[in-house]
Amino acid sequence: MVQLATLRARHPGAWPAAGGGRDQWSAPKEAPPEDGAAAVRAVLCEVLDPELPISLVDLGLVYGVAFDRGAARIDLTFTATACPCMDFIKQDVRDRVSLEPWVRSVEIREVWHPPWTTSMITERGRKQLRGFGVSA
Amino acid sequence: MSEDAVKRLPLHIVTLADTKRILGIRYSDWLLGSPSIETGIAASSMAQDEWGHARLLYSMVKHFDLIAWELEYTRLADEWCSAPALDEPFADWAAFVAAVVVVDGALAVALESFGDQSFNPARSRIPKMLAEEEFHWQFGEAWFRRLADAGGEGAARLQAAARAMLPSTLGWLLPQDHLYEVIAGDLLVWRQDRVRARYEERVGELLGMVEIDLDHVIPMRGDWDPKRRRGSGAPGIEAVERARGDRNRSLMGKLE
Repeated sequence: MVQLATLRARHPGAWPAAGGGRDQWSAPKEAPPEDGAAAVRAVLCEVLDPELPISLVDLGLVYGVAFDRGAARIDLTFTATACPCMDFIKQDVRDRVSLEPWVRSVEIREVWHPPWTTSMITERGRKQLRGFGVSA
Repeated sequence: MSEDAVKRLPLHIVTLADTKRILGIRYSDWLLGSPSIETGIAASSMAQDEWGHARLLYSMVKHFDLIAWELEYTRLADEWCSAPALDEPFADWAAFVAAVVVVDGALAVALESFGDQSFNPARSRIPKMLAEEEFHWQFGEAWFRRLADAGGEGAARLQAAARAMLPSTLGWLLPQDHLYEVIAGDLLVWRQDRVRARYEERVGELLGMVEIDLDHVIPMRGDWDPKRRRGSGAPGIEAVERARGDRNRSLMGKLE
């Protein structure tokens, strides 16, 4: 587990705009993964929604991940068109993925199709939400 | 898309976006002072949605080499293209309810028309907006029925507000300008007979509850300004300053 202080030192500019959950981030993988897209998706599982403490992946907000020679591209949607946490979420995604030494660049594409609904929450996400007393 | 449509579609998009932005301001006026805490929260949520929709609409102009930021934050009040029914704040809760049905209803139909046709950014974004609009409709419909059924002053005010908003809103929804002919001809929006039929289907029954027959409403286009696609007048300066966030954006230093 990377210490919060270490992350703050590495990314000082990012912290004022960040959401929560950064203390849960794991240490970067030193070796380049065989499947870059899967590895990017795996680290996105550590990025939490700022309002509901489950990952963006389990919330169903990650519509696609592509990885090519160090360039990560993430198709990301939001629960609402006026989600007030958009900037926080994008910042968290960018910072978490950029932590990996095998990632050279991160592109986030904001997508709205298909429209997000609660049906996109994974079963694991639903279970976690129920644990917080939220049904979806 | 034809060259003519490429030239003209951005103004159609701005017309929708500006109306969303000002509608959001008008909804936000009722965060406090609405009939209950719950209605205030609904007004807040609806205002938030309208602003989210405006943001997505403004950003579509980048496909035409225009800068959304300039449209959102640098135009004067008399350059805004919002629907005339929103030029003044709602006088009372009945006017708020009338606007949800008459004006927000017209906007939803305009979005349906645009999102159902061939412009891909609209096709990909508008379904999400319409999903959020469904909640506005449910709220507006329930309150419209409640006030109309109650009769008395509430129903009378509702009727008066809807009557006042309808002519200019129909004129805004069904503009008789070359721009609309071009974009409808290019299959970027529905033809106007379909738009009108859809609007009637959406609001006709509710308006009938306060004895308004849409067939007898004459669209009002006033002194049509082709650059703003609306009649004379403009949203109040105070509303536009709030929409632009002038006072507090200046605190950010760099305005971008």
